[in-house]
Amino acid sequence: MPVIRIPAALKYYMDNHSELDIPASSVIDLLAALAERYPSVKFHLLDADGKLRRHFNVFVNGVHIRELDGLATKLNPDDKLILLASAAGG
Amino acid sequence: MELSHEEILRYSRHLLIPEVGLEGQQKLKASSALVIGTGGLGSPVALYLAAAGVGRIGLVDYDVVDSSNLQRQVIHGTSMVGKLKVESAKQRLLDLNPLIQVEAFNEPFTSENAIRIAKDYDILIDGTDNFPTRYLTNDLCVFLGKPNVYGSIYRFDGQASVFFAKEGPCYRCLFPEPPPPGLVPSCAEGGVLGVLPATIGSVQASEALKLLLGIGSPLIGKLLLYNALDMSFDFVTLKKNPKCRVCGPNADVTELIDYEEFCGVPGHDHEDDGSAGADWDISASDLRARVSSASGLLLLDVREPHELAISALRGATNIPLGQLAARLSELDSAREMVVFCKAGTRSARALELLVSAGFKKVKNLKGGINAWAREVDQSLPIY
Ligand SMILES: [Zn+2]
Repeated sequence: MPVIRIPAALKYYMDNHSELDIPASSVIDLLAALAERYPSVKFHLLDADGKLRRHFNVFVNGVHIRELDGLATKLNPDDKLILLASAAGG
Repeated sequence: MELSHEEILRYSRHLLIPEVGLEGQQKLKASSALVIGTGGLGSPVALYLAAAGVGRIGLVDYDVVDSSNLQRQVIHGTSMVGKLKVESAKQRLLDLNPLIQVEAFNEPFTSENAIRIAKDYDILIDGTDNFPTRYLTNDLCVFLGKPNVYGSIYRFDGQASVFFAKEGPCYRCLFPEPPPPGLVPSCAEGGVLGVLPATIGSVQASEALKLLLGIGSPLIGKLLLYNALDMSFDFVTLKKNPKCRVCGPNADVTELIDYEEFCGVPGHDHEDDGSAGADWDISASDLRARVSSASGLLLLDVREPHELAISALRGATNIPLGQLAARLSELDSAREMVVFCKAGTRSARALELLVSAGFKKVKNLKGGINAWAREVDQSLPIY
């Protein structure tokens, strides 16, 4: 099943996993499954309208979902996803 | 630009590399780089650029060296605690390489002074610690047509890229909007592994040198994601965002804006006096008076469990901020409550959350347990 890399800022809400295997057939399904498995991450990830907050980016096999089909991008079982969060630290 | 015999000897190991050589070293001598922030990232970046012989290095910071900086900000030393960071860094750089020029700008980097400070530098290096300065640096680079050598760090995670709108995406193409205030913890709140900025800063310094020399393939259109715990390096490709408000075809941001307003947070990462606003704050000394009058006051500690080993207040209830929304039912809204954290920033957010959930008798301990340690109980450490 697809694997997603979790940013440091969210790991804490996901039992400290830096990677998770999530059965899902699209990016939006995968994010919904994440939010369902870890309810406290939902607020961080999604805004009041259920949209992915704009300081997050999702890459599938290194390609931004903007270049694919956005949140509707279909996933294959061997896909590797990266959830990228903005970080200000320096 | 000719090199002296002294310079030829100093840079000998560069002159031996065909990609650099005498011509490349002369290019570096004629080049300039502005390092924004002399903290975790700025330290290695400035040290390596100075050692490499970049002819003119600018440093922007308005902070003073604090002993909590020294775990990672290796340009500064213990003898410099309390001194201006740019002066401390300048002294160190000129000791490392007296043959270069170092310009120190002891001022906050703002929309008012950014063009004046940056216009005469070839490249900008983003080593700042906050979102407003990052968006400012990005927009400035787009407007001035200069590359923005970007790095950021948090705990064990680092990112690096070169944002250069003439040839690829900018920072806003990737992050069109800053996170809602308070949602992304800073290093002052969440911490950072001391050596992490060395890895990311050395990537930034490498990219800066390549750009100044005009060699190799720069990290334009690519983002490096580094994780020190897994020792993983991932690269993702980035394209220009056609909807980018600053570098896209329909850009509507055409001059520098008020970045603190845009981000809703201040342009620094200090949390010495974390406040929820005068109406909601209680000082450490007022809290001591309240505690000793033995009311039914609830002390709510919203720090992470591992922070309790550093310092704690007796009788306090611990619910980490990240769990608070899900655990509100454990709290009695009729009871008076004082929320606290390390320095008052996370507790101010907790207070907002509590108030929006209908809690009315809530106060924020201004300055957090660190203020309590300073003003009330000196047996506790400050961290
Ligand atoms: Zn852009």
